[in-house]
Formats: sequence, C-alpha cells, structure tokens
Amino acid sequence: MSMMKLALINFRNGFRNYLSLVLSLAFTVLVLFNFQNLITSGAFEVLGTRNREYVEIIVNMITFVLVCFLFFFIWYSTNVFLTRRKKEIGIYVFMGLSNEKIGKLYFLETMFTGLSALVTGLVFGALSSGLFQMILLAISDLAVEIRFSPALKPAAVTTVIYGTVYLIFAVKGYINLARSSVIGMISAAKYNEYVRQKNIVLLLRSVLGIAVLGSGYYLAMKRGGMEIMGNALAAVVLVTAGVYLLFGGLIPAFFQAMAENKRFLYKGSRVLWVNSLIFRMKKNYRTYAMVCVLLLCSVTALATSFAMKGRYDSIIQFENTYTFQLLSPRDDLGQQAEAVIGEGNDIAAKSRIPILCLDSSLVESRYYDNQYAILSWSGLKELAQEAGMEFPFAPLEDDQIIKVSHLYLMSLLTDRSGVTIAIGGKTYHQTDDTSIPYLGYLQEAKSFYVVNDREYERLRPMGEELYTYNYRIRDTGNFIQTRDALDGFVAGLEGDDTARIAIDPQSNELDWVKVMYSICVFMFLVFVLASGSIMFMKLYNDAFEEKERYRALMKMGFDREILRSSVKAELAVAYGLPFVLMAVSSLFSVGALARMMFMDLTGVNVVSVAVVLGILVAWYVLSVRAYEKNALLFR
Amino acid sequence: MKENQEKENQETPGAVSVPSRQDEVVRVRNLVKTYGAKGFQTKVLKGIDLTIHKQDFIAIMGPSGSGKTTFLNILSTIDKPTQGTVVLDGQDITEVSNKELSRLRRDKIGFVFQDYNLLDTMTLLDNIVLPLTLNGVPAREAGNRAKELAQLMGLSEHLKKYPYQLSGGQKQRGAVCRALVPGPRIIFADEPTGALDSKSGKDLLECFKAVNENGQATILMVTHDPFCASYAKDVYMLGDGKIMCRITRGNGRKEFYDRIIDVQTSVGGDFLCQ
Repeated sequence: MSMMKLALINFRNGFRNYLSLVLSLAFTVLVLFNFQNLITSGAFEVLGTRNREYVEIIVNMITFVLVCFLFFFIWYSTNVFLTRRKKEIGIYVFMGLSNEKIGKLYFLETMFTGLSALVTGLVFGALSSGLFQMILLAISDLAVEIRFSPALKPAAVTTVIYGTVYLIFAVKGYINLARSSVIGMISAAKYNEYVRQKNIVLLLRSVLGIAVLGSGYYLAMKRGGMEIMGNALAAVVLVTAGVYLLFGGLIPAFFQAMAENKRFLYKGSRVLWVNSLIFRMKKNYRTYAMVCVLLLCSVTALATSFAMKGRYDSIIQFENTYTFQLLSPRDDLGQQAEAVIGEGNDIAAKSRIPILCLDSSLVESRYYDNQYAILSWSGLKELAQEAGMEFPFAPLEDDQIIKVSHLYLMSLLTDRSGVTIAIGGKTYHQTDDTSIPYLGYLQEAKSFYVVNDREYERLRPMGEELYTYNYRIRDTGNFIQTRDALDGFVAGLEGDDTARIAIDPQSNELDWVKVMYSICVFMFLVFVLASGSIMFMKLYNDAFEEKERYRALMKMGFDREILRSSVKAELAVAYGLPFVLMAVSSLFSVGALARMMFMDLTGVNVVSVAVVLGILVAWYVLSVRAYEKNALLFR
Repeated sequence: MKENQEKENQETPGAVSVPSRQDEVVRVRNLVKTYGAKGFQTKVLKGIDLTIHKQDFIAIMGPSGSGKTTFLNILSTIDKPTQGTVVLDGQDITEVSNKELSRLRRDKIGFVFQDYNLLDTMTLLDNIVLPLTLNGVPAREAGNRAKELAQLMGLSEHLKKYPYQLSGGQKQRGAVCRALVPGPRIIFADEPTGALDSKSGKDLLECFKAVNENGQATILMVTHDPFCASYAKDVYMLGDGKIMCRITRGNGRKEFYDRIIDVQTSVGGDFLCQ
C-alpha cells in the first residue's frame, strides 16, 4: 500500500477526530477570505475616494492582524494535533517504518486536513460573503448595494496566505517526527503532562507575573503625549507576558494549595476535578493564557466599537450644532442673515460672538496650529445663554486660559495637565479644555482660547476681530435653496471678506468611521469565536484522554451524575479563569481607550464583558455536552 | 465455602453449594448468558449455580473463552444475564434499575482490575479516599480510614506519591485499599496479578489473604495462574460455560497448588474434572 493511500485511509477513518481541527482551520480561512473579498468587492466605492482610502488602510491593517492570528492559530492547532497523532502514528515503528516515512505519513494526513479546511473555508466563505458584507454594512449603516460576488482574487490570496502558513507547520511536524525517538513517539501523549510543579518555581513565576502584569496595567493607564504609542505597545507585550506567567505560576500554585487542604478537597466531586485541573495545568496553562489574551482583544475590540459609535454620533451632532455660519468683519449682518435663512425655515437656535483671530506667529502652544482665535469670557457666556448651552466656567484670572476644542475620534495626547500657552509673549496657564460646541463646526477649523475680558481687550490690537453669526434650522429639507440664497447674500455684500459655512446634514465625510466600528465588531466576533474554539478543541481532546478514567470510575459504581458534576466544575474553571483575568485586564485596556477618547467607558466596559460572558457560557454548554458525550457515554 | 469442607476436589460439574442462607453474600442460580443476534447466538454461560459466603476467598480459573470474565462481569453488575438470578446481599441484581446498580457497586462491591485503574491525576491517598468522599464521608474520617488500610498494605510511605511514582505492586495494593475502603460485602478481582512480577504478585496475594483471614473481605478472583489461585480457599474450574469442578484447599498452600496443577495437566487444559 502506498503512503498516500494509507494516509488517505487514516484520514477517512479518523475523520471524526480531525473534525474539530478542520472546522477551526476552516473558520480562519472563512474570515480571511471574507476580508479579502471586502477589499476587492468594491463595496466601499460609494464612500468616495478619501473614505475608501481610509477604509482600505484599516482593512489592510486588520488583514495583517488576521494573518498574525492565523499564524498562531495554525501553530497551536497543528501542535495539538501532532501530539495526539504522534502516539497513534508511532505504532508504525513496530511495523518497520522509518521515522522519515512516519513523518511523511503525518505530513500527508496533515495536508489532507489542511486541504479539507481550505476547501470548506472557501466554500462557506463564498456562500457567506454576501451575508458578511450585509452584516458589516448594516452595522455601519451605510447605503451600499450588496453584491453576491465571491471573486477569484480573494480566494487566491487567501489560499496563498493560508497555504504558506499551513505548509510551514506541516513541514515542521514532519521534521519533528523524523527526529523523534521511538520512545518519544510512543509516549508523546504523556510527555505533556506533569503532575506537581515545584512550589518555588511557581512562586517565582507568580511574583514575576504580578510585577509584569502590573507594569503593563500601569503603562496602559499612564497619561502622556506622543510616547503613549510606545507605552501602549509595551503594555500589550507586558500584559500578554504577565498573563502567561500568572497562568503558569499563581494559578497552579493556588490549586496545589487547594489540593493540600484535605478538608476542602474531600468534599463531593472536588477531589476529582481539582486534581484533574492540577494534572493538566502544566499542559493547559498556555491555552488558558492564549484564550485570556484573545478574550481581552475581543472585549477591547467590542468596547472600541461601542465607544466609536458613540463618538461618531457625538461628532455628527457636534458638527451639526449650526447649519449655517457666517464669519465677517462686519458686526451688523445679524438681521439680514437671519431674514435670508429664516425664509422657508424655522430657526431652532442662533448665536453671535466676536472672535479675535491671531497670526500663528504670535502664539506658542504645545501643538502647532495655523489658525488661532481668542474669545472673551463674557462674550462666550452670552453666546451660551443665547444658544441655550451650558457654561460651567468660573471667571478667569489674567494669566488663565480655557481651550475650546472639538471632539476627537481618539487622541494619543492623554495628558492635559499643566499646559501653558504663550500669546504675544505672555504665558497663560490652561485651566480647562472643553468640547462644548459653542461655535460648532468652526471649532474644528480653528484653535479657540478663552481669556478674561481685560486680557481680550489687551490682545485686541494684535489681531483682527471678526464676527460669527451662527444658525441652526429645524428642518433641513430646504438646505440647498437656503445655502444658495445665503451665497447670493454674501456675494452681494461689499468687499469679499465675509465667509459662509454650510453643514450638509447628508455629508458622508465621516463614513469611514462607521466602517471602522463595524470592523471592530467583526474583530470581536473573530476573537471570541477563536478563543471559544481553541478552548473547545482543548477540552474535546481532554475528553478523549479522560474516557478510560471515567469508564473505570463508572465500573466502580460512581454515579454518572457525580462524574457529570465533576466535568461541569472542571470546565467551568477552565472557562472561568481566563474570563476573570480578562475582565480584570479589560478595566485597564478599556480604561486606556477611555483616556484616549476622553470619555467614561465604564458602561461600555461592563456591557462588552457581559457580551463576552454570554458567548463563553454558550461555548461552555457546548463543551460540557461534547465532553460528556466523549468521556461519559459508553456503548 | 463453609459447606462440604471435608469433601475434596472431585465435585460434579455444575456443582452447587448447599444453600445455607446464613452469611450468604452472593447466590447465583441457573446463570445463562448468550451473545449475538437471534439465530447466530453463542452461549457463553450455560447455567451456573454458585453460592458465596462471608469470608470466602474463591478463585475462578479456566481457559480462554470459558466465560470467566463474562461471569465476573455479571456478578459485579457490569453486565446483565440472559437468564437466571444473581442475588447480592439479599437483592436480585437482575431486577434492579441502573441507578440502583450504581449504588450497589458503590456500596457493596469492591473492584480490583488487572491494570489497577488508579487515577493518575491524583495522589495515592486521594485515590484511596475517592470512594468515601464521593459518598459524603467527612474528610477526617475518610483520611483516617484510608491511612489505616494503607498501613495494612505497607503503603504508608507512599501516600503522597502519584501513581506514576509507584511500582506495579504498589499501585495494585493501592487499588486494593481503594476497593476495601468503603467496606464492601465482596471484592471482585480480575486477574489482579496479571500485570505484576512474581514478587509483587506474591505480596499482593499475601495482602488478599490477610484481609480475608482477618474478616475484612470476601473475595472472588478470576485468574489463569495456578500460583495465584492457590492463595484462595476454593478454586472453581470453568469450562465451556459451566463449572467443571471445585477444588478446596486442604493442608497448606503448596499442596493445594500441586493439586490445581494436577487437575490442569491431567485434563490438558480442558479442566474436565473426573
């Protein structure tokens, strides 16, 4: 019999055992394919060139993340598979097969598995591509026509990426087997399981883990300027390392201590599941850590999505504070402008304020801007009253200043304390930074600062005073006519230094943000499904190994219910540990996000963690069923 | 076997102990087990009668395919007979629910397997204590009972070790402790020395003998090894699904062993008693 035929027979007969691997790999192929398909499908053409460029950058970044994920996922799953196959396939040693031939057999079987996963992933990817785009665009709320267009290019790109990564690990498996000793092959399954680990090693790992994790949390939450990018990267590395160390140290130490306490241990089925957890901890802690990190990614992605959606809505609201704005050196345009805008429109809000425009050479601030404008404290207070906005600022001293900024999607500059600004040679201390939309869209175009009235008068000779006239209309049905009428009014004014701003409520300038937050939702799904399937695969494998133990226990008369409760407890801990550490770590990852977005994300954090919990519970129920089926039901 | 002690080895095939109900642990009547679909059935057990009393130590011997394991599986409630009754401690196990069977196995039966079946996830102490903790026995009491038995079996030094750190003999003695710890009515041992070297096997059998003689255990052991069987008080030879004969121990183990060998060699392994 040729090796090919033998491998095929093995693959066919053992398909049930391969199924979890095939499905997990197929899932990654499906995700990658759909992403590639999204770029090439032209679904974002409607967004306009600028938006499309943004979206393509984002999708390319996500593809990179996905490829990294694919790399580790394939590494992990083929490793699990190799350990399992090693023992079975090792039997061929006794039939006189050389290590190289056994390696070849494994390689061929692995290729069958990989090929099945690729075909399954591509077929389901093609079938679901329309659905995928629909979901993505539905979350984005974009009016894009969905086309069922599984194209050849994304399939080819996916095949090349997946094929390359998969081949690397198939070859790695071949080399591993070819170099294995006979005894190593036969007892492969046992090599991964050590029983008790030395307390001192666990203690060292625990201390190091807490220190590393704590440093990661600290860096994530540390406010700062541009260095925050470096801090964030370091935090990711430290938190990942810390999670690994904690799972490798503190958690086994904790369970070993539990096992020492016999009064605790000898109660119900604890003696079974606590011992079983300890027994597998050395092998499983990496999986728990990996799942914890993936869950943390997923919860952060979901929180980012929620937060971005909220911020997007706020920015849109911010920009639409006024529908029309005039900026003019004349202070007498109010009545005429109101008459033009009020024709056929109901004016919902209006305000007026003089602003002092300064040349950028006169201002020295932390960040360079080319348009600066000064507002007087009482002028702004008046505007707030006129437009019905809050004004929570106390009168300012001569050397104090308030920044009136706009809403950012996200800012890396999280430290806003101790900021000073020099204007015309005098230094002011910034006491506040507000994003109340007093001047609406204008706030996005210029850097506004508020000083007290005395300082305003002092600064006045240094710049040019302009007047803003701001109007919001209730119904934007007449927007275009009004805009044209206003243009006519402005053109009819003497001189050409009056500017008009019209905010189109239908503008799609920020549509790329919608795509971004829907992609975040998708990433969340990818991560949460991946972590669930990794856990599921692990427990599915464990169940096979436990079968004989449970069979013996049942022979001895142990009630199936007791064994079932032991399985449930063990699996609950397996899912619970990564979840708990993830929930704690999310306080810091989402906290860092909150700092970059300058908003309170506690609610978002809680909701995101709850969503992940819900999904994990579903995975848990599924795993318990599979485990019981494999380990507790005998024919 | 209390009755017929004076009568030696030559019993009629299908021999039945005189049904004295006192101290009776197991009573088997007309036990039949058939495998296979209708029309293609194989009769593995063909009507076995046997009574086991408290403090009996019985060995079941027989060639491969004689039905030893099937017989043991039915007696230990793992399998069900096609016909006949098996009364364990006054309860007919052929007529009780699966749940009740689990309870019976847990409370009244101790198992010793050829491959020990100790859980490699836990220490020897935890393995021994396991049946007690799952039965809700308080931790302190469970621990004390396990330690007492471990001392009896010479395992006190090894209680904190994991099965992979123990020798085969130690593992099997640990398994015996685990079987004995709930105080079962009977111990069923399936080839208990099958995986042990001769020294470890002998140690184990000495332990069996000790717990049997001090009244801690009634034992039914399936074996194909005459040396192992010579530790029992009675040896039943099974052949072709029936009890071919019973050999009862007389003046010492060596002489008993010789008689078992004699019976084996005289019938060429077919165990047809004359």
